[in-house]
Amino acid sequence: MTEQGETGEAITILLVEDDAPTCWRLQDALVKAGYEVRSAGTLAEARQALGGGAPRVLLTDLRLPDGHGIELIREMRQRFPDSEIMVISALGDEESVISAITVGATGYLLKDAFPTDIATTVRDLVAGHSPISASIARFIVRRTQGAAQNSAEQPPGPALNTARLTPREIDILWGIAKGFSYAEIASHLGLSKQTVPGHIKNIYRKLEVHTRSEAVFEAVQQGLIKL
Amino acid sequence: MKAPAKSARRRLLASRLVPYLLFQALIVVATVMGLRLLQPSDPEDSALSGFSLREDGLIRPVTLPHFTSSRYSVADPPFYASTFTYRSADAAAGWSVYLPRFSNAVEVAVNGVVVLDSRRDANANRPDRNTPQIAAIPASLLHEGANEITVRLFVWGPLKGFLDTVYVGPDAALRPAFETRTLLFVTLPVVFSAWQAILAVILAIMWLMRRHEPVYGVLAAAMVLGVVQAFAPPPVPPVTVSRLAAVLLASAPIESALIVMFAVLFFGWRWPRYGTLLFVPGILVFAVGLLGGPPLPRILFLVLGIPTVGLCLFLMACITATAVVRRQDAASFTIGCAVTIVLVCWIQDILTVLEIATNDRIFVSRLSYSAMLVAIGAGLTWRFARALNQVDSFAGQLVTRVREAEERLKASFAREEERARAAALANERTRLMRDLHDGLGGQLVSIVALSERGNEGATIADAARAALKDLRLVIDSMDDIGGDLMLALGSWRERATAQLRPHDIALDWRVATPQGLPLHPELRPWHVIQIIRILDEAVTNAVKHAQARHVAVTIETRDGSDRPYGVISVADDGRGFALAGNSTAAGTGQTARGLRNMRSRAARCGAMLDLSSDASGTRVQLQLPQRFPDSDMAAG
Repeated sequence: MTEQGETGEAITILLVEDDAPTCWRLQDALVKAGYEVRSAGTLAEARQALGGGAPRVLLTDLRLPDGHGIELIREMRQRFPDSEIMVISALGDEESVISAITVGATGYLLKDAFPTDIATTVRDLVAGHSPISASIARFIVRRTQGAAQNSAEQPPGPALNTARLTPREIDILWGIAKGFSYAEIASHLGLSKQTVPGHIKNIYRKLEVHTRSEAVFEAVQQGLIKL
Repeated sequence: MKAPAKSARRRLLASRLVPYLLFQALIVVATVMGLRLLQPSDPEDSALSGFSLREDGLIRPVTLPHFTSSRYSVADPPFYASTFTYRSADAAAGWSVYLPRFSNAVEVAVNGVVVLDSRRDANANRPDRNTPQIAAIPASLLHEGANEITVRLFVWGPLKGFLDTVYVGPDAALRPAFETRTLLFVTLPVVFSAWQAILAVILAIMWLMRRHEPVYGVLAAAMVLGVVQAFAPPPVPPVTVSRLAAVLLASAPIESALIVMFAVLFFGWRWPRYGTLLFVPGILVFAVGLLGGPPLPRILFLVLGIPTVGLCLFLMACITATAVVRRQDAASFTIGCAVTIVLVCWIQDILTVLEIATNDRIFVSRLSYSAMLVAIGAGLTWRFARALNQVDSFAGQLVTRVREAEERLKASFAREEERARAAALANERTRLMRDLHDGLGGQLVSIVALSERGNEGATIADAARAALKDLRLVIDSMDDIGGDLMLALGSWRERATAQLRPHDIALDWRVATPQGLPLHPELRPWHVIQIIRILDEAVTNAVKHAQARHVAVTIETRDGSDRPYGVISVADDGRGFALAGNSTAAGTGQTARGLRNMRSRAARCGAMLDLSSDASGTRVQLQLPQRFPDSDMAAG
């Protein structure tokens, strides 16, 4: 079985992971699912691989021997805006996942996920369904509350601009954080179930800070910086 | 012991009193000299002092200034006649007749035509003022050479009538002397009365705002009385209608008694009850004036009022001298000097009335009384400024004290906070250690054990997975969920789903209300971790021992007695197991230990655990408390 994109070609994945056993494990799961996987152990190797052409999906660890995965995600997002990016995380903690989201990642994969779950997650991502976990949703909504209550005192953790999220998107995030399924959220909010993934994709896009100057702009908008 | 103390006090008294008295003597001398200087000079070129007086039918020559006997009728007044020489060469300037002092009223006629009648100006006839009069003589009345001038002097007792030298001459020569006298004896009293009126208003306001300080009210009353006395027009005989005004003329004794009362209160002493006797003469004059018409109040005033004023002034002098000795402050000293001046003026006036002093009958008591009021005003201003300074310094001290207290409080608060933070950190570390030890530690140990036996790949993987799951749980529980347990259950649902999926067990998740569970602001991470571990244990049991196909998690809210509480149940459709009742079966193995753990965890966070198991499945129902306990109920 081979996973194929819209053009009919096999979907290429660039896997950047410095721990060899973890790398094998993920690679096995993805190859078995029919993806074409290239792997890299360092930032330099990953950049070299990107030079050879854009993969459809980038899966990267954050802590790499010669740098940080964040840099790779930012470069990838700028050079190949259409590609999907996921961060690989051991614990799925907010610190690493949110910082990846703000530079353009649209989801995360747990290192110990079962092989079927790994394949499913990647397939959903390519299909346009950005996965979001309850704990990430919780982090974001807690942050929107914090911003509403006291913008001067940012809670610890990565900086996150939640100002552009609509009330509906925040409602959806609340639902996810509380463990409701998309269908349950849709029925609570009077939405069609199909539109929920689109909202989530929008949330990711809104949380992304594209450039340095935009980051400054956002900060000014939120009153974090006074000109 | 007592005698030296007494003599020391006496020495102190002497050392303070003697200089004061010497200074007052100096002031007496200065006042007497000042009063001499006050005598205005009149244009002696135009003086007319040789008159013939017709009184009681007798005609005799007199020399002005002249006293006539006291009388109580204005009929047939003493009649002064004289002649003066008019030189038409001076006609261009116009001539006037000028009377510097008379008592009580005059009517002046030149060549038989009346040119001046002072009775028309009520204030001009007041004996306590030294009002001069001037009148232009129409040129048509005068003729070259000798002209006749006659003065009718109206006297109402009990004082003797008085007529000072009469001046007739060119207006330009007389006018300056008249102006000087007017300034001194008419304008200045008005200015002083105005000053008194202003003081009265200020003091009345002060008293209204500070009722507990009657000193201001007393002084205000004295001032009001003085102002009314100064501005009330005195009745001119034979008119008797304005009784009240006549009575007010006699206000001086009441005023002076009030001033004594003021001084006593001002220096912070108690007003003695018998002090009220001081008011008796004044009130007596007042009452007699109201009942009987003039001239009775005037007589009574002379014999009762004026001595009372003198007595009051003497008392004032004593009071201020005592105050000076005791307090040695500027206010008592100033008032003391003023009292001395007034006392000297009063004595001077008495001597004038008794015709011992020859000063053309100029009364200065009223004028000097006003000087005293200036001093009192200065004293009060001084006191007010000092009070303000005290308030300022008090406020400053208060600010400093408050700041100090604030600093201390801040420091102790910071210390307290530091201690609290340290305690919280220690608690948190203890909790974390225990949580890690409970889960991760044991799981890692079992991984080591399995690895050492070798060949247990799948089991090792399970143990490692469980360890990871527990690590995630511990990390997850660190997050602030703001009392909403649903936020923790959301993450747990994901983990449980991931855990069940490889075993082909479906997780059926049912939340009764969109809100899920009630909010518990008192919810702490260690509560969350216990609840999640109970749920984990229930799911793990379903996977490992029950061979279930479905696990249903139901979350609902029920109404409690105090507030709503949540109920979470985990039900599987597995084989079930024997419960504690059949303890030999349940008491062995992992399941039993798991059940014990669940119960103790539930007890720790005040929840009730209900287990039921039969062949159709197992059901774990966790009834959350209405309020989570603050401390670990079963620590250990």
